[in-house]
Amino acid sequence: MTDWEPKIVSFLCNWCSYGAADLAGVSRMQYPANIRVVRIPCTGRMSPKFALAALREGADAVWVSG
Amino acid sequence: MKNLLELMGVEPDRIHFSWISSAESTKFVQVVNEIAEKVKALGPNRHFVKQEAKVA
Amino acid sequence: MITYSNKIKEIAKRLLKECRAEMVIGFRKGSIPMMNEPCFVRTDEQADDLVWDSHCGINLANYLTSRDEKIAIVAKGCDSRNIVNHIVENKINREQLYIIGVPCQGMVDKRKILAQTEGEVLQITETENGQITVKSANGEKTFSKSDVIQQNCSVCIQPNPVLYDEMVADPVQGQTDIDQFADVRALEAMSTEEKRAYFDELLAPCIRCYACRNACPLCYCPTCFVDESKPQWLGKSQDIMDIKTFHFLRAYHCAGRCTDCGACERACPVGINMRILTKKLNKDCLDLYDWQAGMSIDKRPALDVYQTNDPEKFIK
Repeated sequence: MTDWEPKIVSFLCNWCSYGAADLAGVSRMQYPANIRVVRIPCTGRMSPKFALAALREGADAVWVSG
Repeated sequence: MKNLLELMGVEPDRIHFSWISSAESTKFVQVVNEIAEKVKALGPNRHFVKQEAKVA
Repeated sequence: MITYSNKIKEIAKRLLKECRAEMVIGFRKGSIPMMNEPCFVRTDEQADDLVWDSHCGINLANYLTSRDEKIAIVAKGCDSRNIVNHIVENKINREQLYIIGVPCQGMVDKRKILAQTEGEVLQITETENGQITVKSANGEKTFSKSDVIQQNCSVCIQPNPVLYDEMVADPVQGQTDIDQFADVRALEAMSTEEKRAYFDELLAPCIRCYACRNACPLCYCPTCFVDESKPQWLGKSQDIMDIKTFHFLRAYHCAGRCTDCGACERACPVGINMRILTKKLNKDCLDLYDWQAGMSIDKRPALDVYQTNDPEKFIK
């Protein structure tokens, strides 16, 4: 398990963090490849169900960002 | 949300909230780094996962 | 208690006669002792069935969801808080309701009595001074009511209705210096591992009958998340993870709304104390937002409003 890498399910708001992620991408910034992005139309779309579903399906962590 | 998950025995570092504007790509990178590190330190999530049904 | 019952009957008859209500929701004796059932009174004769004693634990607010007739309802403290909830959530109009307030002295936990009684319970009587006599197949036994009261009643902060049109008796003295959340604090102090073990054990007997959901006056979604199949949020199995997910989400749906009426625990056929989850959320609402559900029809719920001083420490 030494080469284990966590999977972090990230719920990013289309207008905020998703934009930031996009900008980070076009700016060629380096960041860990552990995040799996789910784009949501707004952080208001977030529901506790999503977080639980992610954890249940084996995500190592959940990150919600607006 | 976080408080109750914690109460049910999920490590607090398994769930994160943040607020990043679309212009803050540096903050985005910072937060990703921070979270990835914390989760790596925790190790894999073994407990709050639904195990596949075992077929005898 | 007899005086309460008589007063309720009298009020019910008067309201029906004056057409102030088309239906009176109250309790009548169940077919076995300690199991009073809800009844819906529409005629004078039916009104004679109405009773009140220490076994009226079911939360009658459950039967108000989206009704459109004029209803009179018998309500103790927690019922009235749930009625307030219903009004705030636009599930019923205040004008439709005539609330018959009952000052409550706590409800008896039938499990506590059954655990201490041998043989089938045949009859149960109580006196005004808080003595409960149980006649069973093997003899007779007397309890002090305070020993067999429901746990949530023993930490009740609102025994008198918060909203009523008429009271059947003078308000009772509420408890003031009680620690509502002692059990939650004890659990919070545990380590992650201990908490996990605690919930594994607590929820292991759950058979997912959803009685807690059905008894809860807050649970009125047309389709419950447990029945949704696209996407399916949780499996139908007895897997501990499915059980945990169910209880977690059920509790979360009650955040800032639960009045700790104890209907869920009372309805549970295997006696799980799932109230610990909702109580934790109640405690958080009180600590973070200074909010207690169902206290006033003029205030919006904590999770319904944004204030600039809302705590946001958890956000990076």
